[in-house]
Amino acid sequence: MPSASRAQPARIAGGVAVLAFAAVALAFPSIAPNPYILSVGIVVLNYAVLSTSWNFVGGFTGYISLGHGALAGLGAYSTGLLVTKGGLPSFVALGVGALLVAAIAVPIGYAALRVRGASFVIVSIALVLITLLVFQSWASFTGGSRGLNVPRPFPGLLRPEHHRVFFYLFLALLALALLVWWLIDRSRFGLGLKAIREDEDKAEALGTPTFAYKLVVFVVSAFFTGLAGGLYALWFGDLDPIFQFSILTGSYMVLMALLGGVRNLFGPLVGALVVGSALEYFKVEFGNSPLHLVATGVLLALVVLFMPDGVLPALGALLRRFSPTTDSSIREVTAAELAAERATIGGEQHAQPRNG
Amino acid sequence: MHSLETVELTKAFGGNLVLDKTSVSFQHGKVNALIGPNGSGKTTFFNCVTGLIRPDSGRVSYAGADITRRTPHAIARAGLGRTFQLCRVFPRMTVLDNVLAATRPRGANLLRGARGRAETDRARGWLTKLGIEHLAGIEARNLSWGQQKLLELAGVLMSEPETVLLDEPAGGVNPALLDRIGGLVRDLNAEGRTFVIVEHNMDLVMSISDHIVVFDRGRPIAEGPPSMIRTDERVLGAYLGV
Repeated sequence: MPSASRAQPARIAGGVAVLAFAAVALAFPSIAPNPYILSVGIVVLNYAVLSTSWNFVGGFTGYISLGHGALAGLGAYSTGLLVTKGGLPSFVALGVGALLVAAIAVPIGYAALRVRGASFVIVSIALVLITLLVFQSWASFTGGSRGLNVPRPFPGLLRPEHHRVFFYLFLALLALALLVWWLIDRSRFGLGLKAIREDEDKAEALGTPTFAYKLVVFVVSAFFTGLAGGLYALWFGDLDPIFQFSILTGSYMVLMALLGGVRNLFGPLVGALVVGSALEYFKVEFGNSPLHLVATGVLLALVVLFMPDGVLPALGALLRRFSPTTDSSIREVTAAELAAERATIGGEQHAQPRNG
Repeated sequence: MHSLETVELTKAFGGNLVLDKTSVSFQHGKVNALIGPNGSGKTTFFNCVTGLIRPDSGRVSYAGADITRRTPHAIARAGLGRTFQLCRVFPRMTVLDNVLAATRPRGANLLRGARGRAETDRARGWLTKLGIEHLAGIEARNLSWGQQKLLELAGVLMSEPETVLLDEPAGGVNPALLDRIGGLVRDLNAEGRTFVIVEHNMDLVMSISDHIVVFDRGRPIAEGPPSMIRTDERVLGAYLGV
């Protein structure tokens, strides 16, 4: 098949990049010069998990949710509250918390996924604002603006060791999210979801139960987002509604996925590496000024203008330039093939409408 | 025997009454055609029948079952497949994936690979039958209009409908392609598939149909075999313009 040889350079480069990332990531806690850099690594990995989780909905179905920050916040608070009020062991609370988020996502998705396009975006924003209000106002239960302290799961560990353990936990969660995304991507379910992204009415007319598909993938996405939020709560240990239910969290997830490329397994990860690192750098350089937001905005504008499909597809296209292309809707036929074709068509006298 | 039937189907957009208590029935195992002037409600009729638009009142039944309030995918799964007037394909999926997307997995099958051998062979079979197999690996947006029409047809056929509704299959395609589509409809009909075709190309309609229904202002004004429709005075006045 011609496409196999054509894809070779891009595929090899991709494989090398994945292996290189895995090697650097595994070694990172050992080569990080200080605990601060290691904690930045955790923050970036957290973004990567969040963005990959977002991409279950955004990448497959094309529904742009700005509300995933709320799902992460719900994951963080349900884990935190299950530990502090419920007395559950930390990692049991993490699992139960994520399942709770998935359960809450069923009615949320049931309502929100009925509208498309800009309406869905607005509904998803509303979700963040509502959860923020609830968690701020219900101070007797959530701690409100005073915050919620989540006890550390490993009280005996010193801070650098604590970071080290959580770095690997986040890495494992990322690997799990990527694995599930990949499994869906190659499945029939995934093909149905992509059909929804391309043309929902057409997919429906072909017999795809689009609403059920969207709801299922939304719940899967919420589960992983909840896990990421919960793991963050166990790592960071201090939750405040204003940060947990922030419209910025959801916006970062979208930005990272768009930057890397939403159709690619590793798109959100690449986006998180670039944007996450840049965000942390800007915070160090410019402190608490909103300059990091301006820089992020400029970055997004540049990507949308010059790489609308994201960094990874742009790189792939660049690599394909170095290999002979066979991408054409015009097929070259030899005289012999043409004669054979004419013979088979015979009396029907059908011209082959190659270019209709 | 009637396969697809509507009883007093009514649909208005604002003050515009597009379907006016439309009662028609199409015959099972035949090539039925639905013709009429622009704006006579043919596409709205299709949309109401396939669940894309909710009718204001009236009833649609298929193979004896009431399908009026069913969702489009449930109607498709009941055996009614359709194409769209302004041909719709999945632009950023390959031609092969476009056809594969029409397979109907259920339950645990959903998590199996999308490109299983049996499905891929069947999808390629349809592409071959329609003469676009050589384009299988190309994104559908890079196809010409005529090729996209063939691709849309391949997708619908992949979903194995008992009855196929074609909305202007000949719109904007060249004469050779027209022959191919016409021939395919006849072949598939011979295998037992029912067709309902909305079409303006009278040569095609007259040559492939067994039964023709003529719409004018949302109501059927005549129906019968081509020989009868050709000479029906109401039809001549309303549509054929003679």
